[in-house]
Amino acid sequence: MKKLAVTLMGVLMCVSLAACGNSNDSKVISGDVNNTTVNAQNNNVENEGQEASGSSVSGYVFSFNGTDVVVDADAEPIIASLGEPTSYYENPSCAFNGLDKIYTYSSFEVDTYPQNEKDLISGVILKDDTVSTKEGICIGQSNQNMIDTYGEEYTNEDGMCVYRKDNMKLCFILDGDQIVSIKYLSTVLDEE
Amino acid sequence: MKKVLKYVITIALILVILFFVQKLFMPKYVSDVTEGRLIAEYYEEEMDHDILFVGDCEVYENFVPAMLWTDYGYNSYIRGSAQQLIWQSYYLLEDALRYEKPDVVIFNVLSMKYNEPQKEAYNRMSIEGMRWSKSKVDNIYASMTSKEHFIEYVFPLLRYHSRWSELEEEDIEHIFDTDVRFHNGYYMRVDAKPAKDVPGGEILGNYQFGDNSYKYLDMMTKLCKENDIELILIKAPSLYPYWYPEWEEQMEEYAKKNDLRYINFLELQDECNLNWDEDTYDAGLHLNYYGGQKVTKYLGDYIKNEIGLKSRRGDEKLEKIWNEKLELFNSDLENKLRELEGE
Repeated sequence: MKKLAVTLMGVLMCVSLAACGNSNDSKVISGDVNNTTVNAQNNNVENEGQEASGSSVSGYVFSFNGTDVVVDADAEPIIASLGEPTSYYENPSCAFNGLDKIYTYSSFEVDTYPQNEKDLISGVILKDDTVSTKEGICIGQSNQNMIDTYGEEYTNEDGMCVYRKDNMKLCFILDGDQIVSIKYLSTVLDEE
Repeated sequence: MKKVLKYVITIALILVILFFVQKLFMPKYVSDVTEGRLIAEYYEEEMDHDILFVGDCEVYENFVPAMLWTDYGYNSYIRGSAQQLIWQSYYLLEDALRYEKPDVVIFNVLSMKYNEPQKEAYNRMSIEGMRWSKSKVDNIYASMTSKEHFIEYVFPLLRYHSRWSELEEEDIEHIFDTDVRFHNGYYMRVDAKPAKDVPGGEILGNYQFGDNSYKYLDMMTKLCKENDIELILIKAPSLYPYWYPEWEEQMEEYAKKNDLRYINFLELQDECNLNWDEDTYDAGLHLNYYGGQKVTKYLGDYIKNEIGLKSRRGDEKLEKIWNEKLELFNSDLENKLRELEGE
């Protein structure tokens, strides 16, 4: 009986140890599986978000009228600073709580995703040539302009030229030699 | 002999404890994210369906099986789940065919846009509820993201152990709960939120559906043909996510090439009399009950007139089953309407 008790205690200890020892466990499915979060990444993102709302930022950044729209940063102060969007759309995810939000301005769009009761910037999409990247590239310019500015160290992903930096990617879509779309995207939500 | 018996009892006891702990730690999908129960509920059914839907939320929130029974005499079921990927639809269909052979299978083609595994949380909701079979094993391997492990699907405790600090009363209360909460896989909503400022499609780098998506669509087509099942491809009328003309062209071409029927409900909004101010509960992503009735009517008429599927009204066993189902359905509808009025 003693052995039995020891074994049972061993099992319970294993379970509780497993429960506690997740410092390197990359993911936690929380509560009612409200969301699958990638802890390691999220910790980084939260830090970056805090930094982004301050002065230090990482990754490529889109700037409009003096407001830096930083991917994975807290959206609230940025949206407030950008002013009234021309349209707004909420996109509830299937099954999960929280809303993905789309703020459309005259020449660009800002998308957000919910994280820990905050909305973070998931992407910025430039719509026309009245706005450009901080480095001076806009829609309508050529492939060579892109390479001259950002270099040749890009990858081809799903038809886009992608420059990765920190937890974000800057994507250019070309039609022939001409840039037709520019997107700043978070990589935090990519699980693949 | 006594020693052996002791070992056997010890091992059995350990397994029982682990089983209970695992059950306790697994999400119950009761008060929140109830869609997580959809896949498992299928096994509580009398499996004798004429029509089986597979696909994502665009099937389980847009079509009403209760109406297909009352108005057309069709016994249908929706094997849908949130962000169900095409390989998941395929394996869920393959799994269903172990139990029954429907006359018609309806697949919503939005998931063609995903060529690779996406999110673990959605995988879990589409897979964990399946009974163990080769289809489930294949589904897991096809669906896992790079950070997931097969063993965690076999022993979910390895995945959910970190829920220990989040356990609530409901985890104990519903530890063995298999109650059916949906209506033949249909998720009912009666509230309305008008569709306004629905975004158009952003420019994509590549509009071509991926090889992996086509591989599973081919497999689904073959599986249905082998089993003498009429496969109908549909695109539900949901306004968002945006359905690109380039995607539409590919689906029309695929249907033509494979001699399949394809219904794009986005092109039938007027014919269905959809009113986007009243018939959606989330601004155009999904239909509420009223919108669902409208597209279900179109679908029922189509199946009756174009396919000639016979009504099964009068089948005593089915009538009895559906009488009970309809009682629950109507009571749920009344409750939801009452809740809405109280708001």
